[in-house]
Amino acid sequence: MRRYLLNRLWQSLVTLVLATIVVFVGVRALPGDPALALAGEDRDPESLRAIRQQYGLDQSWLVQFWQFVSHAARGDLGQSIRTGAPVRGMILSALPVTIELSVLAILIAGVVGVGTGVVAAVRRGRPAEWAANALALLGLSVPHFWLGLMAILYLSVALGLFPASGFVPFFTNPIDNLHHLILPALILGTGLAAVIMRQTRSSMLDALGADYIRTAEAKGLSPRAVIGKHALRNSLIVVVTIVGLQLGALISGAVVTERIFALPGFGKLTVDAVFQRDYPVIQAVVLVTATAYIVINLLVDLLYSVIDPRIRVRGES
Amino acid sequence: MTRRLPLSLNRFTLSNRRRQAAGIGAAVIALALVGTACSPVEPAGNSNSSGGSQAPAGQDVFGEPADAAQVKQGGTLTVALSADPDKLDPTLSRSLYSRYVFHTMCEKLYDLGPDAKVVPQLATALPTISADGLSLTIPLKQGVKFADGGTFDSNAVKISLNRGLTLAGSARKSELGPITSIETPDPKTVVIKLSKPFAPLTAALADRAGMVLSPAAVAKLGANFSNAPVCVGPFKFASRVAQNSIKVVKDPQYYDAAKVHLDAIEYRIITDSSIRSANLKSGDAQVADSLSTQDTPALQKDDSVSVLQSQSLGYQGLTINIGNANGIGNPLKSLGTPIAKDPRVRQALALSIDRDALVKSLFGGLNTVACSPVSPKSEFTSDAAQVCPAHDPAKAKQLLADAGVTTPYKVEMVTSNNPDSLRLAQALQGMVKEGGFDLVIKPVEYAALLDQQDRGDFELLQLGWSGRVDPDANIFNFVGTTGSQNVSGYSSPDVDKLLTDARQSTDQAERVKLYGEVVTKLQQDDPIIYMYRQRNLTGVSKKLLGIQVYPDGVIRTAFAGFAK
Repeated sequence: MRRYLLNRLWQSLVTLVLATIVVFVGVRALPGDPALALAGEDRDPESLRAIRQQYGLDQSWLVQFWQFVSHAARGDLGQSIRTGAPVRGMILSALPVTIELSVLAILIAGVVGVGTGVVAAVRRGRPAEWAANALALLGLSVPHFWLGLMAILYLSVALGLFPASGFVPFFTNPIDNLHHLILPALILGTGLAAVIMRQTRSSMLDALGADYIRTAEAKGLSPRAVIGKHALRNSLIVVVTIVGLQLGALISGAVVTERIFALPGFGKLTVDAVFQRDYPVIQAVVLVTATAYIVINLLVDLLYSVIDPRIRVRGES
Repeated sequence: MTRRLPLSLNRFTLSNRRRQAAGIGAAVIALALVGTACSPVEPAGNSNSSGGSQAPAGQDVFGEPADAAQVKQGGTLTVALSADPDKLDPTLSRSLYSRYVFHTMCEKLYDLGPDAKVVPQLATALPTISADGLSLTIPLKQGVKFADGGTFDSNAVKISLNRGLTLAGSARKSELGPITSIETPDPKTVVIKLSKPFAPLTAALADRAGMVLSPAAVAKLGANFSNAPVCVGPFKFASRVAQNSIKVVKDPQYYDAAKVHLDAIEYRIITDSSIRSANLKSGDAQVADSLSTQDTPALQKDDSVSVLQSQSLGYQGLTINIGNANGIGNPLKSLGTPIAKDPRVRQALALSIDRDALVKSLFGGLNTVACSPVSPKSEFTSDAAQVCPAHDPAKAKQLLADAGVTTPYKVEMVTSNNPDSLRLAQALQGMVKEGGFDLVIKPVEYAALLDQQDRGDFELLQLGWSGRVDPDANIFNFVGTTGSQNVSGYSSPDVDKLLTDARQSTDQAERVKLYGEVVTKLQQDDPIIYMYRQRNLTGVSKKLLGIQVYPDGVIRTAFAGFAK
């Protein structure tokens, strides 16, 4: 087990270093120069030189890379070229927004997706199934930005039910916080809800045809108990896996949603940093994301190996 | 200050396509309908007209100061900003949008009035200039405190100006010109000494170069001043969430605090213009800047919103690469193409553009035709500076033939890949065909466009300039041989001499005449083909009183308040 652990840790470290290099080089391979993007209208050769010097952009890539890595190892992610603010603070303030938005979106998608999925399976071949399928198709095919725009136009502008933009931190005012987040979370959750609905429906159909359901029915349990306690419970295992697989899609969806609703989240931070060629911010954002993915993967693998020793054995061989 | 984008960077594909389609359609119809003559440029004057959103096209609506009797005390104003300001440090700031925020928290020695004339702000009068033009004496207000309680005096002004001249990466250095020293004979007087006369200095002191920073904060934060800026102003900095919002709160120490009605102002960054106007309509924001010319007509019909308009002092145009083959800052070398070598080809292109149709069809008449870098709203305008050659495709074809160019003459135009720029490019493409040009559009992302521009990697490029009060700042850098932004690679001893004379003259009439002559020369050589001037369109909720926008485009929110 110890050898396996060390092996996995080593692999993770290599992955992290590779990710860091790819991002570092990738960002610099983009056309455009951060000094130019920052200087904008007021640029003249002297101020461009000064900006490059100030942010070490006049150094070789190797020196810049070493600076970045050595500072990052000490927890210093540098300063934004555009605003001069510390990048660490920017990330720490943006992360909770995206996490909260994603969690809310998963909750909404879960409730809506499982609900419609169950209805579609139980009412198979009836109008209810047709309606649920149509909804799922819409949810999958309509882009987030369009839904977002429509939601703002109808729910915010015309009906005034939800704010069209802005964010209030949860601990400042939980109700205001939810009021601001519910619409973006609903939009963000549509795609996921559709996936969950389709998955719930098909695994429910499988379950409903299984022997144990017939047994349960034969024992004289009410349909509600059969569907809720037996069929649904078994179907949900697959749904949970799907949610995990869809996390990446959720985060990329958050980029669009955050921009439309002006939410100070991670996605908006990333995209704006790319547009402004704010190297330190882009690098830090990717480093944090890569680290998160690697740590989660590592934990999952370790957990698997505890549950199923065969994985550990294969890993060691 | 960023080159003002013709529009916000980021919009979304579906609405883009729709808009593009609608725009092209409109352009085609308008082109078929509109005649060939180039109409005269909008007459000057007729500015400061009052309120109301139904102002006739082309008329400025600056807004009015709030009447104290009609305004409630307190409340938080939310302003939807189209772009994230950069550093909140007047010495280092380079974006137009930072000026919106500075306006509420960093007062300047001078300000601009609604007529684009310089007026005192922290100074008590315009500078007294010595006979040789080498010394400016500025009298200062007394009894003024910084937001941190420090006293405003001549020493603070000296520290701020010196910082602008010496801080690494200062964006103010060239604006401040040939300053040799700053003297402080007493706390209420500053004397600026110059090595040679520099007429644009007073106008520079009416922008960020003239903002006075708290010496205590400068000493404490140094180059990190932007993280917690402290100046003299109706509001003081409270907080900033990166790329999302900036909040300022009322400063009770402000010398005119009685005139400040709001408790706080939150600037919320919303880059998409249709979402900005949706926020304005829903009431989540009460002010929105840089409205799209496409959203404006609908907002003008909305009862709850009024639209302020002011003509920008800048321009949008086409830059032709004449001698920037090696990248800016390197020795000039012609590209060798007919359009780079022969002014007749450039004139032909200028004559192929129907500016009037462009402005009407693409911008609903909200923007105005421009044929020169001197705005008709500037005090330096003249008849010569506003001459506009008529749209004449037949003559354009003739010029191309005279130049020995086979038509259609293919030329590649690099442009920003945002929807408004693309619509403009497509309209131009259709227009110049008639004059014998085959315009190939090369859309690139904004940061890459700047890069290509400075490397000289283009034949023709579409960009604009947000504009300054003094014409020198709108011309010299772009067409002067040594101009830091002469991306055209244009070099004319005549133009250089006229510009240098104008820069060093303190005689207004003389400068007006010289700039007229510069325009005449530029229209012969056409290193930049000026096309139109944008209008600063600002949406304001009718619940709010006292929002004003002057020709510099800065939204003045500090003395606004909610209606009772």
